[in-house]
Amino acid sequence: MESSTRPAPKDTGLSPGTRSSMLGLMLIAPTVLVFCAVIVYPLISAIYLSLFSIYTPTMEGDWAGLSNYKVLIQSGEFWRSFGNNLVWTVGTLTLQIVFGILVALVLHQNLWFRSLARSLVLFPYFLSTVVAVLVWRWLFNDLYGVLNHFLMWTRIIDMPIDWLGTMPNAMISMILVGAWKYFPFVVIAVLARLQTIPDELYEAATIDGAGPVARFRDITLPQLREVLVVIILLRTIWDFKEFDLIYLLTGGGPVISTQTLPLMVYKEAFALNQMGSASAVAVMMMLFMLVFMFFYLRKAED
Amino acid sequence: MAGQRSFARKLMFNAFAWTIVLVIVFPLIWMILTSLKPQSELFMIPPGFFPEQVTFEHYWRLLTETPFLTYLRNSTVLATATTLIVIIIATLGAHSLTRFAYPGREFLARAVLFTYLLPSVVLILPLYFLMINVGLGNTLASLVIAYTTFALPYALWLLRSFMAGIPDDLEAAAMVDGASRMRAFVDVILPQALPGIISTALFTAILAWNEYLYALVLVNSDDVRPLTTGVMSMLVTSFNIEWSLLMAASVMMSVPLIFVFVFLQRYLTRGFGAGAVKG
Repeated sequence: MESSTRPAPKDTGLSPGTRSSMLGLMLIAPTVLVFCAVIVYPLISAIYLSLFSIYTPTMEGDWAGLSNYKVLIQSGEFWRSFGNNLVWTVGTLTLQIVFGILVALVLHQNLWFRSLARSLVLFPYFLSTVVAVLVWRWLFNDLYGVLNHFLMWTRIIDMPIDWLGTMPNAMISMILVGAWKYFPFVVIAVLARLQTIPDELYEAATIDGAGPVARFRDITLPQLREVLVVIILLRTIWDFKEFDLIYLLTGGGPVISTQTLPLMVYKEAFALNQMGSASAVAVMMMLFMLVFMFFYLRKAED
Repeated sequence: MAGQRSFARKLMFNAFAWTIVLVIVFPLIWMILTSLKPQSELFMIPPGFFPEQVTFEHYWRLLTETPFLTYLRNSTVLATATTLIVIIIATLGAHSLTRFAYPGREFLARAVLFTYLLPSVVLILPLYFLMINVGLGNTLASLVIAYTTFALPYALWLLRSFMAGIPDDLEAAAMVDGASRMRAFVDVILPQALPGIISTALFTAILAWNEYLYALVLVNSDDVRPLTTGVMSMLVTSFNIEWSLLMAASVMMSVPLIFVFVFLQRYLTRGFGAGAVKG
């Protein structure tokens, strides 16, 4: 690739191909260095820490072998958190997908002020979780929250609801807020795909007498299949590891009814000061996630 | 009449669609309205929709009586520093991953995607120790370093797909004219990649601006807290929760985002196309 008009390279005795790949390596070197320092090292270190029993404030501890894991596997709290994590992930993901596809279909139509509508719908996704949670906690407020007032005014309920302090309300509220915050991701991805489905497909189906429902089932859904698989994998991974929204909205409460694995890691490490067993929870959590990460990586290869 | 019927249908559909949109943004409308109401109006039963009396006192109190401006400065420094560092490293890295051939390149690309999916909660425990051991405990620098753990893989992944879309001939043509590879990178690739770099920078800045977990664990004093943990600490420390003050803080925190939405939205949608959908 090197041009002959260039001043001859200093006599390194290397072929142009080798010199080019050396430049390539030099350019990637900062990335590799940073990756090793802030990702690879902590990752290995997390696994290593999980083999110790460490008191967080002093950062001192003793070798514990696999006992952290043994305690975890026998602990009800760990499996409860895992169960909560599944309920939260499946619940919020289902709502995100169903609602995301619905809104994408609506926004795909010829709507007045369509671009404004699209911007407004996307907004919750980019909003800070702190802001989202503050707003929703104000809406959920049992005495002055507008949600209870509205539901009582429309006679749907006759007593104010405690949205965050009891079960199953806390889990339902959490799933709803998660769906509200993250469904725009599905909207954007599905909208982008909808725009590439050729109109002829719909025209042909209409001529054949297919109604709107049949067209959606026989054309839209199959065309969306590929992108939906990618969305579901990505959102499963992201929802599974969600910390901010749950921690800020319910804090895992009441008691541990909405505590998921990321919250358990935080609690073990910084409230109970058990850094070793916190690391063990984190490593276990990563093992669960690896399944989905593996599938996503395989998908991304194509 | 057919024309009237189809107009009626259009009207119905628009009413339906816009009802959905308004329900989705209602929490945000309510946030703005609450921030403009005097404290006394919050406790009216039933609550009024529009403020009877518009007041900016909460915004004023936020700026003068709380550490909000300090948090704001910290968040700005964090978002700017993280974005600058990450964009420089990731642009070079993405160029290398898309234009050069060397052993291990595919492995590196896969590793980037893997780390992009990694949960922060796993890395945070060792990072917490690391920061204290190197004497960076409770500093903004520790947060910038921690933010690269998610921002760098993310930026690399986005930029890689942007830069893969730049045709090879452009670079080859520049080099035939006698430019070196680095010159070709600066003169040809960078200008072509600029829209992608802007998108990536915006996404990175938003991620850093919104980050909560690292800020919660790594810093614990008001002079280094960013907005996310700072505003939450206002909720925790106050004796009775002042919702209108918190809503004013929420609005202020979202102002940069509104700015991006109004003026730079095409960069956001472009980023989404590259990073999320093509995957």
